[in-house]
Amino acid sequence: MRMHLPRGRGLNMYHNSSQKKFWTYDKEETLDKLRLEANQKFCSKALSSGKPGINESTLLNEQEEKVLFKHYEKRLLDFCAVFKPVMPKSVVGTACMYFRRFYLNNSLMEYHPRTIMLTCAYLSCKVDEFNVSSTQFVGNLQESPAGQERAVDQILEYELLLIQQLNFHLVVHNPYRPLEGFLIDLKTRYPLLENPEMLRKSAEDFLNRATMTDAGLLFSPSQIALTAVLNSAARAGLKMDVYLNECMGLKEDKETLSKMYESMRRMTSLVKAYELPKAEEVSICKQKLERIYAEFATNLKRKHGYEDDDHVVKRQMVADEEWTDDDLDAL
Amino acid sequence: MDQYSILGRIGEGAHGIVFKAKHIETGETVALKKVALRRLEDGIPNQALREIKALQEIEDNQYVVKLKDVFPHGTGFVLVFEYMLSDLSEVIRNSQRPLTASQVKSYMMMLLKGVAFCHENSIMHRDLKPANLLISSTGHLKIADFGLARLFSNEGDRLYSHQVATRWYRAPELLYGARKYDEGVDLWAVGCIFGELLNNSPLFPGENDIEQLCCVLRVLGTPNQKVWPEITELPDYNKITFKENPPIPLEEIVPDTSPQAVDLLKKFLVYPSKQRISARQALLHPYFFTDPLPAHHSELPIPQRGGKHSRQRMQPPHEFTVDRPLHESVVDPSLIQKHAMSCS
Repeated sequence: MRMHLPRGRGLNMYHNSSQKKFWTYDKEETLDKLRLEANQKFCSKALSSGKPGINESTLLNEQEEKVLFKHYEKRLLDFCAVFKPVMPKSVVGTACMYFRRFYLNNSLMEYHPRTIMLTCAYLSCKVDEFNVSSTQFVGNLQESPAGQERAVDQILEYELLLIQQLNFHLVVHNPYRPLEGFLIDLKTRYPLLENPEMLRKSAEDFLNRATMTDAGLLFSPSQIALTAVLNSAARAGLKMDVYLNECMGLKEDKETLSKMYESMRRMTSLVKAYELPKAEEVSICKQKLERIYAEFATNLKRKHGYEDDDHVVKRQMVADEEWTDDDLDAL
Repeated sequence: MDQYSILGRIGEGAHGIVFKAKHIETGETVALKKVALRRLEDGIPNQALREIKALQEIEDNQYVVKLKDVFPHGTGFVLVFEYMLSDLSEVIRNSQRPLTASQVKSYMMMLLKGVAFCHENSIMHRDLKPANLLISSTGHLKIADFGLARLFSNEGDRLYSHQVATRWYRAPELLYGARKYDEGVDLWAVGCIFGELLNNSPLFPGENDIEQLCCVLRVLGTPNQKVWPEITELPDYNKITFKENPPIPLEEIVPDTSPQAVDLLKKFLVYPSKQRISARQALLHPYFFTDPLPAHHSELPIPQRGGKHSRQRMQPPHEFTVDRPLHESVVDPSLIQKHAMSCS
């Protein structure tokens, strides 16, 4: 009889993950630069389109994109928070990370955040093996049956685009598991702390807030989790230096220790600096966004093949099916 | 796509044309393969996501062809793999002389290490056959195309033609129309490949699906509920009945083969999938630890792709005797110089 081997060995390590290799950046400036490029790319394309309703002032600048990004990210989190059945934290974390990665290289004016946000959540459910059907998924939207059906169509329409924009890197390492690890470690190896569980609540809060920042694009999940633990301890008036020095074996390695403190300081300031955008700001940006979409509506339809254009897309797909040498030569 | 310049066509796979190409920036030669992905009713299937996940996050393994990159093209993806000189079907076809017992053992060891790695990472290959076992310029065997068979071919005719191509290596449960199966289908294929290496000809060369089943039944005997309890649940079980016939001893099917080899072969070629020996367990079989031991990769033939003649490299002696002068049994430094330099 064949023995059943442990599943998924070798797939769960952050150190050789696509996240570390491709989606962890050195500094915030790099991220801002990418977002600015995405914004400018769309703007120049839109301006050269010759649409009468499009000019510099009707387009969103990067700051306005940021406002809307934050707004829709919050909506994504709210959607996940009330989702039935209850969505595991890792699914929520992965969905948010997809959303963040997507708009690192794309403008909100090109792909509507409302659709992308739902597509991220839907894909994340599938990738994290949180199995809900598409009907069940959109059942969580406050929409009419027809509206829900439209949402399914849109989600499925954008799913392929999303995984392509994620560069097929679907596995996201969230800081929730490392947090559990640190709590276990504190319980077993750090008797100075009487009740490590008391750190949990505020550490989890920290992680939830970190989700709404670029922390996940700049730091490893375990660094984020450790920062959450230390912040939680600091709030409770506890000193954890001994844990870092002794238990983490960093006493001798001053360089690593100081680098880690620096990372934690940057992360904490990121989390502290987070602010929800003001409602009036959001509504101005939203109006601009909708006007841009209205202006480009016909183009977008052709591009993504919305439901009423189905036949066009299908024909195109058949033509695309075969791949010939000519096809490649043309590239 | 503009990162690559196409050098030529390697062949036509089940999923489309495979091209040889050069990565312009690094000058590295790669194989490009397009996978078409139709729009599905329920979105991208979980299975597909699982496997893309695995391909992306899997650690490097010496016996698995590395997926270097994926990028969108048209309505599907292009997969970029390391380029390999040849494959095992060419080795079998072009070998000037039959493979030695020690060479067969070496191929089996590499194949099983690769299969064990895949299975431990929850990846079922589903399309193992000599043509999918690529041979590098150093003689190493690496499994290619893994996971993609079931991944992307989940629609109509594509799947059918794909099944035809790999019929000789298809497990009996698949021939009986099983829709659900496990990694045992790979282990059956490993058995078929093993037999083909030993005999230098395919073990079950069925001309069509029915005949394929006949080929298997002729050797293993007509299955019944006693040897294969699950058979009654298979979709096509009642659609066809065969004349009762007893199994033929495998010793007669692969003559002139060592008892250990026959014993291991028997452990792969059994009807109930769950009873087939796992790749990891097979690697511990006495076959691999009895003389002649598996050949070093430098002793394996390296056929040129599409070429008629295989280049048989110089064969170092593998019987070691204490009387032989030492310099005769050590590796000639000039043979490894090339590799030594690339290391420095």
